Amino acid sequence: MNRVLASAFMLAAMAGPAAAQSLTVSVAADVRSINPGVNRDDNTDDFVLQMVEGLAGYDEGGTPGPLLAEKIDVSPDGKTYTFTLRKGVKFHNGAPLTSADVLWSWNRYMDPKTDWRCLTEFDGRNGLKVEAVEAPDANTVTMKLNAPNALFLDALARTDCAMAAVIHKDSVKPDGSFDKPIGTGPFKMGEWKRNEFYTMSAFADYVSPKGDGKIDGYLGSKRPLVKDVKFLIVRDPATVKAGLLSGAIDMGGILNSDVDELRKAPSLNVQVGTNAVRHGLLIQTRDPLLKNVKLRQAIAAAIDYDELVSAASADLAKPNNSPLYPGSSYFGDVEKQGFKYDPAQAKKLLQESGYKGETITILANKRPTAVSFPQAVVAQSMLQAIGIKAEIEVLEWATQLDRYNKGNYQMQAFSFSSRFDPALGFEQFSGNKDKQPRKIWEEPQALALIDKAMVVADKAERQKLFDELHKRYIAEVPMIFTFNGVEPYALSKRVKGFEAWQSKQRMWEVTLAN
Amino acid sequence: MLRFALTRIVMAIPTLLIVAVSVFVLIRLIPGDPASLMLGDLATPASIADLRARLGLDQSLPTQFGIWFSHLLKGDLGISINSQEPILPLILSRFWVSAQIVLVAVFFASLVAVPAGVIAAWRQDSTLDLGLVGAATLLLSIPTFWLGLLLLLFFGLKLEWLPVVGYVSIGDDPWRGIIYLIMPILTLFLHEIGVILRMARASTLEVLRLDYITHARAKGLSEGAVLWRHAFKNAFGPTWTLIGLVLGNLLGGIAVVETVFTIPGLGRLLVDSIFARDYPVIQGCMLFVAFCYVLVNLVIDLCYPIFDPRVTAQ
Repeated sequence: MNRVLASAFMLAAMAGPAAAQSLTVSVAADVRSINPGVNRDDNTDDFVLQMVEGLAGYDEGGTPGPLLAEKIDVSPDGKTYTFTLRKGVKFHNGAPLTSADVLWSWNRYMDPKTDWRCLTEFDGRNGLKVEAVEAPDANTVTMKLNAPNALFLDALARTDCAMAAVIHKDSVKPDGSFDKPIGTGPFKMGEWKRNEFYTMSAFADYVSPKGDGKIDGYLGSKRPLVKDVKFLIVRDPATVKAGLLSGAIDMGGILNSDVDELRKAPSLNVQVGTNAVRHGLLIQTRDPLLKNVKLRQAIAAAIDYDELVSAASADLAKPNNSPLYPGSSYFGDVEKQGFKYDPAQAKKLLQESGYKGETITILANKRPTAVSFPQAVVAQSMLQAIGIKAEIEVLEWATQLDRYNKGNYQMQAFSFSSRFDPALGFEQFSGNKDKQPRKIWEEPQALALIDKAMVVADKAERQKLFDELHKRYIAEVPMIFTFNGVEPYALSKRVKGFEAWQSKQRMWEVTLAN
Repeated sequence: MLRFALTRIVMAIPTLLIVAVSVFVLIRLIPGDPASLMLGDLATPASIADLRARLGLDQSLPTQFGIWFSHLLKGDLGISINSQEPILPLILSRFWVSAQIVLVAVFFASLVAVPAGVIAAWRQDSTLDLGLVGAATLLLSIPTFWLGLLLLLFFGLKLEWLPVVGYVSIGDDPWRGIIYLIMPILTLFLHEIGVILRMARASTLEVLRLDYITHARAKGLSEGAVLWRHAFKNAFGPTWTLIGLVLGNLLGGIAVVETVFTIPGLGRLLVDSIFARDYPVIQGCMLFVAFCYVLVNLVIDLCYPIFDPRVTAQ
């Protein structure tokens, strides 16, 4: 009996660790689809964008630049973009990349039947319209816009649009339905077993934008150096920890609260990246109580940002009150000036506001990966310290999101997804509440400045616009940004070259020692 | 017997109808719009309206119910909002995974717990009885997620005998498939031992106090014969019913174990769908679980006359 048991357990142990050069990465959820930019979420984009590429992509700082294009020329009137394709780029099926492929992919995205997530960004419904796409020769593509637009390249590079990825026409079946992504990315589609795992394998003929080994967002060196990668779906953070410690998982995202513990594990390294996600406290500026700017200023002055951020991020993040991500090239001295923690001033402002002890309710959710609840708890105690009666109402995430969309709240501890361009970062929470109740900031002059930043292309001029917007936001306190997202990963010490960036688990330039 | 069986089957139909209506209405009473959840903070009113129209959520509730129910009658549970997969095959594939764990765990738990419960009752208030009841209470009291994690830490990390994450289908690789199922089965097995043992003990105690047992003893029958031939058969009825309830409960409630051990079963599908507000899948899963529940109880009822012939006579 013992012999049978021993052999059973030996076989079981063999089933655990991954073979050399095959990397096992834990992810918390399955991908929604493998069709670029269709039925997607962040997790889906992360996987798909290892296999496909677009004409433009983001660099490390979130600025769009040429990816499948070697260069991008803009006409003097700002309405025509000319993309010259890189030479020698191949699809996963061996076919060379030509302008005809770009045209075919674009037409497919613009067909409503494709259900591309970003169709409305380019068909004129949101202002920008691509009026004509042409291929004057096999190596050149031109796109003509209805009007100059400072955000056109950013829209093309957006990860939720799957970079408007250029895929080969064999990616779809003869009946037009999607089959699998045949792209030009460093990895090829492997196997997808729903709710268990999905895999990708190295594309041997991949032509990297820059071959110097230095990664730079989606634009730098992107060599696939491991044979294949298996993304294993593990929902429970405790199981992820056990998998990492046992060696069954080579790397995976971990909870902020697990960082200290896993840093002590001899077989693991821990890496903490940051991203452009913005955490903060939303304020309903049409609330009878909170429409009072003095009260909002009192709230902003009552919060000790160092303490709140330390508590909410397990001491991993630094405060940032700006709607801009600190990695942005527009994040300057003005953006560094945030709200000032000043309890005495907060009490004075509170008195001036005429506050009479009314209850302010802060909505929050308890998702393990969100910082909503800890932020709400710390903010509540700080508001109570200056005499504001604050209560927390914990909701399930979908319900909280519903209340956000309807504008039905006083305050919320909430997070906004990444926006690289500052104009989009401001636009995300600004607008007319009559038309979109989820919008927070509706001050007309601020909206006019944002509209201008959407069109103006000159960097210096845009910087002035963003500085002005930042100052207004600090003065009017339509909401309070507190800090940017942190993303801790634990990695086996055998894994080298991984750099966490914007919640994307880029597997290029990553190696795995035997 | 045939009439008894037919009555039971006919009685199951309104139950399923009530479940179908309740599930449909209750899900829609939960706050939170699936369209806005899917689109997140990127949503615009136009994109939300567009998605709601495509999902049919802009129709009135009776229209939505009519469409759903007419498809249901054809055996079509619809398409998942999240994965765009047809729901019935999705549920069946996940059910098979959960069923392997639940059936094996409950079978072995019954095999151990029923005789243990009978013996505990027979030796009431002895050290053996106290030990068995104590162990059962302990196993019952430990939440399954905690028990699962303890097993995972012990067998997976400390002893390194069993894999801590992953899943291999028995159909793909029978031996490795079994290896991956050991810990989830063990977790449920240990938990269910507590439930079944206590029930078996309680029903045996009740039977042992009846006059016919005293009569059997007075006739000079051995304790073994009294216990197993007379007491056990009558005491097993309530325990058998409980096993049916346990099976039904577990099919719907195995999500915790499946989450801890990364098993792609029905429970995890249900929980994931609830978080994603994937209405068609939630409806499908709940109906399917209800159907299993009714079916299991039907089988239990139909088997009942074996232990108690008075049932058919009534």
